[in-house]
Amino acid sequence: MKKIITMGCIALLAASTAFLTSCGQKKTVLRIYTWGDYFAQDILDAFEEKYDCTIQLDEFDSNESMYAKVKAGGGGYDLIVMSTYTAKLMYEQGMLDKMDHSKLATVNKYFDKKYEHLTLDPKLEYTIPYFVSFTGIGYDTEKVKDFEPSWAMFEREDLKGRTSLLDDHREVIGCALITLGYDVNETDQAKLDEAVDLANKWKKQIAKFGVDDTKQSLASGEFLMIQTYSGDVLQVSMEKPSIKFVIPKEGTTVTFDNFTIMKDSKNKDLAYEFINFIYEPENAVKDMEEIQYVLPHTVAVDMVDEDIRNNPAFKVPEETFERCHLLIDLGDDNAKFLKAWDRIREE
Amino acid sequence: MKLFRNCGNFFLGLPAFVWLLIFYALPAIVIFFIVFKPVDSNGGIGEGWTLQAVCELKDPSYPAIMWRTFWQGIVSTFVCIAISIPICYQLARISNVKIKNFFLLLIVVPFWTNFLIRIYAWKVFLHPDGALKHLLVWMGVIPQSTMLLYNQWAVLAVMIYTYIPFAVLPIYSVAEKFDFSLLDAAKDLGASSFYAFRKVFLPGISKGVLTAVMVVLIPAFGAYLIPDLVGGKDSHLVGDMIARRVFTDRNLPHASALSAVLMIAVFLPLVAFIWFRKIFGTKSPDDAKLQLKQQDTKQRLGSSLLFTSDTNVSQNQQKGEEANE
Repeated sequence: MKKIITMGCIALLAASTAFLTSCGQKKTVLRIYTWGDYFAQDILDAFEEKYDCTIQLDEFDSNESMYAKVKAGGGGYDLIVMSTYTAKLMYEQGMLDKMDHSKLATVNKYFDKKYEHLTLDPKLEYTIPYFVSFTGIGYDTEKVKDFEPSWAMFEREDLKGRTSLLDDHREVIGCALITLGYDVNETDQAKLDEAVDLANKWKKQIAKFGVDDTKQSLASGEFLMIQTYSGDVLQVSMEKPSIKFVIPKEGTTVTFDNFTIMKDSKNKDLAYEFINFIYEPENAVKDMEEIQYVLPHTVAVDMVDEDIRNNPAFKVPEETFERCHLLIDLGDDNAKFLKAWDRIREE
Repeated sequence: MKLFRNCGNFFLGLPAFVWLLIFYALPAIVIFFIVFKPVDSNGGIGEGWTLQAVCELKDPSYPAIMWRTFWQGIVSTFVCIAISIPICYQLARISNVKIKNFFLLLIVVPFWTNFLIRIYAWKVFLHPDGALKHLLVWMGVIPQSTMLLYNQWAVLAVMIYTYIPFAVLPIYSVAEKFDFSLLDAAKDLGASSFYAFRKVFLPGISKGVLTAVMVVLIPAFGAYLIPDLVGGKDSHLVGDMIARRVFTDRNLPHASALSAVLMIAVFLPLVAFIWFRKIFGTKSPDDAKLQLKQQDTKQRLGSSLLFTSDTNVSQNQQKGEEANE
């Protein structure tokens, strides 16, 4: 009897697998590679339904790991969402497909030209901007006393062991350079050395370097203050309202994450449709409300829920904008940053 | 007939062999090749051959991180074994099968939960405002400013916790077959309990202990996730360094050089392990008993066939086997 049941179960399993795979084969698959928690699930579902396709979404935690995987031949992705400086690198490698603007009607209609100066590709020939992300400080207003909007907060001894910096060489060294009054893409060795010394001062007080897990640690109260991206903090502050995001007075780094279509993509048309779909005002609003980053959209930004819209961390005031600097790929000079980063991590 | 039987064994072993060859041996060889390739700044591998990556291993920060990796691996292995041996001793002595299976189940239960979730449970447990922290502060063991998380002790604790089942299982499988009447015999002959445990039980389970050492030491050397999640700014191990060389630096040859060092570091204990087994293997009571038995049979055979020499016996045996086949 047991045997019969077992056999029955196996047969059922086999049948269901066959059924499922046969279903999957009929639909086209759009393969997207992006940061963690970067699209509202509702929108993905709606897109799948409208275009009768399946979206396969893979996530990365740094531009560098994404690049390493794609460069090594991994993926076969149609659409990758990446930061501007990495897009430049991949454009130079000839990995990106030129955008066909005749297929991007919705984007052309709604893209807010005010943001053009924040992208390295103002004519949007290879990249279509998705979210603007500011690096800044996320902190717990109830537990951090006498907070000042300054990177110098990371030197505070009373927060020892309860803070974190990003595990990203450009962000940490970049913010140290800005604090010293230098350019964020500075490659002069003496100035970099100064930045390393400053970052090492910060390192003395922090608990760890991390990216995706630190926002959870901020929410759970392990960390009281972290260096992080604006939207990540806003997501967490929905759960815990005492958490706030600020852009330090010295200034910070800003980057666009862009849609890019890979040269070897097999579903380019569907990828164009996806970008258009995100730029549809009602989808853009839904996406911004959930992910809490700003899309450079002429109409949708003002339609976002008032509570979110009025938060200066979401819609950054014009005067703050001037203190935000764009990271660019440094080519061979990147090695200097890597050496400097090793000195910070290993000292 | 014998050939056929060997063929059968060959085909049975073939899938495992092919699997290991394709997914383990070949990638390992590729890694050793990449070590001697130049790097190109776009993250690829350049043309020609160079020793650059090997020279870069002289980086002054590496001895510290290597040392940390090794002592953490060795300490966690040692603690795992030290905890596992008494557990297995008690477990093997339980005569009630139901109770024994229940305890074995308890050891396997953690595997039912995802590894990652168990690490996050540790993060809750060691939380800076958590119950354990408050208890320790209240008891006056640690000052308020001490952090339980994000340091190398947290990494060590989670590593030991994670690897204990891997140490228990091989030791238990040997301890279960151990003849506990030998301990009674030792005591009858005047040995104290601890002396008997040390001189009779430990050598008896040495094979299992050596297997456990390998099973714990190798993953401990390559640990990446645990130091990444519960470790702090200064407690990353070689695994993290390799990841950084691949992802951030886009320097595959350098990453391969580090991996090669790690592989060699794992390979050496393995060789030592095989060598140890050769020495210790014959000394274990099981083998000794087997030898005694063999000698015994030979002697009995010898006495019954007074005039046949040993070689004749074996020749006869061979003939017998052939006839059977």
